[in-house]
Amino acid sequence: MKSKIFRVCSTAIFLLLASTFANAAGVVVIANPNVSVSADDVRDIFLGEKQFAGDVKLVVIDNAAMQNTFLSQIMQMDVNKYNGIWTKKSFRDGLTPPAVKSGDAEVSEFIKRTPGSIGYVSSAPAGVKVIK
Amino acid sequence: MAVKSNIGIEHAKQWKASTLLSASMFAGSLVFAVPAFAKVIDVPTQTGSAPVQPANTAASDAAQVKAMQQKLEAIQEQLNQMTSGLVNRTSSTAGMPLHGFFDADYGINSQGSALANPWIANPSGFFQGSLSFYMAPHFGDRVVALAEPNFELDKFDGGVSVDIERLQVGYLFSDAATLWLGRFHTPYGYWNNAFHHGAQIQTSVLRPRFLDFEDLGGILPSHTLGLWGTGKIRAGSGKFTYDWYFGNGPKIVDARDATTADPLTDPPTITPPSTDTYQTGVLDPNIAGDDNHSALVGLNLGYDFSGMLDGLRLAVHWLNGNINAYGTSTYGTPTVYNTGILNTTTLNTGGMSLVYLSNYWEIMGEYYGFNDKDITPGAATNGNKYKSRAGYFQVGLNIGLWTPYIRAERTILDQNDNYFRMQANGQSYARQIMGVRYNLNPKACLKFELMNSHFMAEPTRTDLSYRTMTVQYAIGF
Repeated sequence: MKSKIFRVCSTAIFLLLASTFANAAGVVVIANPNVSVSADDVRDIFLGEKQFAGDVKLVVIDNAAMQNTFLSQIMQMDVNKYNGIWTKKSFRDGLTPPAVKSGDAEVSEFIKRTPGSIGYVSSAPAGVKVIK
Repeated sequence: MAVKSNIGIEHAKQWKASTLLSASMFAGSLVFAVPAFAKVIDVPTQTGSAPVQPANTAASDAAQVKAMQQKLEAIQEQLNQMTSGLVNRTSSTAGMPLHGFFDADYGINSQGSALANPWIANPSGFFQGSLSFYMAPHFGDRVVALAEPNFELDKFDGGVSVDIERLQVGYLFSDAATLWLGRFHTPYGYWNNAFHHGAQIQTSVLRPRFLDFEDLGGILPSHTLGLWGTGKIRAGSGKFTYDWYFGNGPKIVDARDATTADPLTDPPTITPPSTDTYQTGVLDPNIAGDDNHSALVGLNLGYDFSGMLDGLRLAVHWLNGNINAYGTSTYGTPTVYNTGILNTTTLNTGGMSLVYLSNYWEIMGEYYGFNDKDITPGAATNGNKYKSRAGYFQVGLNIGLWTPYIRAERTILDQNDNYFRMQANGQSYARQIMGVRYNLNPKACLKFELMNSHFMAEPTRTDLSYRTMTVQYAIGF
C-alpha cells in the first residue's frame, strides 16, 4: 500500500517538474550564423549594452508573439520596464530600439537573411545559430 | 367431460389467434425490412448504370490525398511570400523616427510677491513646460548622430524660445569606446545625462534646483560644446564605465557687481532695495567659441554592479575650468555698468553619485564638493580658495503604476566665491519634495508634487521660504 502511494506521488512530482522544465525551455535565442556571442551576453545585447560581436554590428529584434515569455524567463523584467530602458537608451545614447517582428516565421526569416541579427523564437529552425 | 372440452376449445382458439397475430407481424416486418436490406447492400435500382467496383475506391482516395497535398504546398508558398514581404517591409530604413517630450503643468506657489526674488519662478496657475524633440539618425553601423531642439517657455515674460540643446555626431569604435563631437549633456553625476529635458522619463516634476539648466539658473554647466568619449568595459561580473570630456568653458553673463547700489532698469524691470540683495548672473555655455580659451575638462568614472547588486551604480566625477563673470549692460539710465570681466574663478568640483534601480526601487543621490580659486588678476582676493557643497538624495518606490517619491536637496555655497556670488541661483538653499507619479501608459504620466523651499539669508541675498504644489501631465513619444 505504501509503495503504491509512493509510486503515485513520485509520478505526480515527476510530471509537475517535467511541465516546469518544458515551459522554461519554451524560448530559444537564435542568431545569424556569422554572430559569435555567448549565452551570458544575451541580456546585455537586448538591453543595448552590447552592440558589437567582434567586428559585427548586432541587429537586435523582438518577437511580438514571444516577448512576454522572453522577458519573464530570460531578462527577468516586464515589458514596461523593458520599454522604459530602451526609451532612455534612445534618448541618452541615440540607440534605436529593437524592431518588433510579428512571430516566429518572420523572426526566423529575418535572422537567416540579415548578418549580425539576433532574436528569439519558440523553436529553432534550420539555418540559424542557437545561442540559448 | 363437457367442461374439459370447453377449456380445450378455448385454449385452441387462443393459440390460433396468437399464431395468426405473430405471422402477420412477421410478414409485415418483412415488407419493410427487405427494402432496407436492399439499401445497405446498395442494390442498384436504375437499369443500365454500371455498378461501383471496390477496386476504384483506392484510386479515388489517392487522388484526394494528392489534391490535398497540392493545396498544402500552395498555402505554404503563400505563407512564405507573406513572411518574406513582411521582413522586407519592416527592414526598410526609409525615414527617420522623431521622438520627444512635452508637458503641461498647474502650480500654486505661496511665495507671494514675485519681487522677493525675481529669479525664482512664481508659477501660480497653468503653465506649459518645454516641447523637446530628439532625433537619432544612424549612418551605417558606426556613425550616429543626435539632435535635440527644444522649445521652452521663458518663466519671466512667458515668451517661447528655441534652443538646440544637443547637436552631436558620434563614432562607435566598439562597446568600450564611443566618441562624440558637438553639444552634449555634460556627463557629471547621474541626473544631468540621464533625464535632462525629458520630463516624462524622470520621476519627479522638477529637477534638483542646483542641477537646473543654465538659462533657468542652474549653477553648473549642464551643456558642453566639445569632445566626449564614453564607454563600458566588462570588469568582473559588472562593468566599468567612463566619461571624459573637454570643451568650451562656460562664462557668467549679466552679472552685477555686488557693491553697486544703482537701480537696475534692464528687464526684468524691478526696483531693488538700497543694498543689493540679489544677483542676476546666468551661466552661458559659450557655444560660439570659448571666451577665455580655457577648456572645461571633466571625468566621470563608475561601476555597474550585477548579480545580487544588479541595478546599483557607483561613480565619482570631477570638473575643472576657468570661468569669467561679465557685467551686465544697461541702457536708459545715467549709470553705465561695467560690461567687462568682473572677476575670474577656477571652478574645481568633485563628488560622487549613487544610483540603484530595480523593479521596485529608484534610489539616486549625488554630492558635489567645490574647491574654487579666485584668479582675478590684480584682485585682493586673488589666490583665495573657497569651499562649498551641494547634493540631493531621492527615493522612489514602484508600486504597479504608482511611484511615490521623496527628495531632499541642500546647497551650502560660500558667497565669497565669485562663481556663486555672481549667479542669480548661487544662493544656498534647502528643499524637500514629496510626490507621486502615476503611469497612464508607458508614454504618459501624471505627477503630483509638494515642495518646501527655504533660501538662506546671505550678504547679497535675502532669505525666502515658500511652498509649491505642482501637477504635471508629461508625454513621451
